[in-house]
Amino acid sequence: MSIDVAVLFSALLIGAVLVAIFSKSVSVSLIGLFYASIAAGLIFTVYGSILIGLLEIITFAGTVSVLVLTAILMTGESKLDIGASKTRAIILGMSIAIVAVSTFTILTGLPSVPSPSTLSPSDLFQFVWQFRPWDLLILLVVFGSAMVVVTNLFSKETVH
Amino acid sequence: MAVVITDELVFFVTATVLIFLGIGSMSYSKNLIKTIMSFQVSVIGANLALFSSGLGAQIPIIPDSFLLFSILAGASIEAVGIAIVVSVYRKYGTLNPSEIRRLHG
Repeated sequence: MSIDVAVLFSALLIGAVLVAIFSKSVSVSLIGLFYASIAAGLIFTVYGSILIGLLEIITFAGTVSVLVLTAILMTGESKLDIGASKTRAIILGMSIAIVAVSTFTILTGLPSVPSPSTLSPSDLFQFVWQFRPWDLLILLVVFGSAMVVVTNLFSKETVH
Repeated sequence: MAVVITDELVFFVTATVLIFLGIGSMSYSKNLIKTIMSFQVSVIGANLALFSSGLGAQIPIIPDSFLLFSILAGASIEAVGIAIVVSVYRKYGTLNPSEIRRLHG
């Protein structure tokens, strides 16, 4: 893989993170973080770890972004005002372009990356079987208990 | 000694920048939601560092396993953090840590 690709993706990632950190609006920060997660997932996908890249995009750009958006709406920290209509059009255009490039990259595969169609499911999930069974169990317990805690904290019922 | 710039080096430098940006922003943030976002930046940096460590390997299976663990653990911690932030907002009505400390007495 050419080093230009690495520099390009790194610049995209750092740029999105800088927007997320230094923006005064929480909504703009969330949008920057969304693009940062997409860029990180694209790096993993383009450099061979297709499943990890997809998991990164699904988890951070999908689930966590929606969770943060829910928290922003619940706390009323931002009215989701992302500026003028020109800004909205630019953000929408960037979103469509990034989603299109991501989909094209994942579906076709780059020359140095084995195409997903040539990989069997056992190849894709090969790294998972490096875990010992109790490691996987611990992973599931951590994730499950976190979800239980979140459900508990989000519920309105409080015991006095 | 000449330093050869490789993909691993580029990603490792990027990961270092992200981790320090995230930690710095966490320290100075005046909004708890932005603190959680800064934590996510650090998690992305840590994931990138793990990934770059496996780029030179012939079979990058072990870094992938650690990455899977890191992604799920990071998402779990963030979810719990966001839920705590919402609870704190319900109790104190603000997300400014200094204000919360003052209200707590």
